[in-house]
Amino acid sequence: MIAMLFYNPMELHSGWMLWLLLPLLVGVAVVYKTVRAQEIRRLPLETLVLVGYMLGGLTALGAALWLVQQYWP
Amino acid sequence: MYLGRMRRGVVLLVTIAALFWAGVAMGGVMTVDYHAERWWFIADMFTGIHGLVGYHRQKQVYRQIEREVSMGAGASGEMAVDQWLKDKGIALVHPVDNVARAYAGIAGLLNLLCIFDATILALMGRFGEPPPPSPTAGRQP
Repeated sequence: MIAMLFYNPMELHSGWMLWLLLPLLVGVAVVYKTVRAQEIRRLPLETLVLVGYMLGGLTALGAALWLVQQYWP
Repeated sequence: MYLGRMRRGVVLLVTIAALFWAGVAMGGVMTVDYHAERWWFIADMFTGIHGLVGYHRQKQVYRQIEREVSMGAGASGEMAVDQWLKDKGIALVHPVDNVARAYAGIAGLLNLLCIFDATILALMGRFGEPPPPSPTAGRQP
């Protein structure tokens, strides 16, 4: 079962694609903050803040691109 | 360990391994693909042993293809490989390929960031956890 999991690709619904961004963002934030944080005790909080920043940035970027696509002459 | 930052090292090891294998779990054995996705493959290799295991598994698949498929030259050979992958149910197609390769490749690039950081810290002679910031730091006397 486990071997098949890492051998055959999963069937992912295209509607899930955006939600799969969240674990990736968390992974990036954890690694970056583990490298950069002064105190490791503050790691969870700093990671959460960074995930928020990245989500906000990506949302703004997505909205801007949507506007360009919709209304650009 | 060498830098005296054991806890940070464990967090990085677990996170990078989890990201890489999450990508392989989504995309299957063809996620690490030397032939079709050269740039993502380079990124995957920065994960070290994880990337090498992925490469080895993918190479076994290509060896099996060489045994079972009589490939002609040019596009027909590529088509035969694609058909074989499709028949075996391991062809990595859109949109899963984007997500799977992004997970595995970004894990490699994050590992590269960690290698760079650890090298610089070692060269600067900074070992152990940094001291906590002083509460008076930045205040005027």
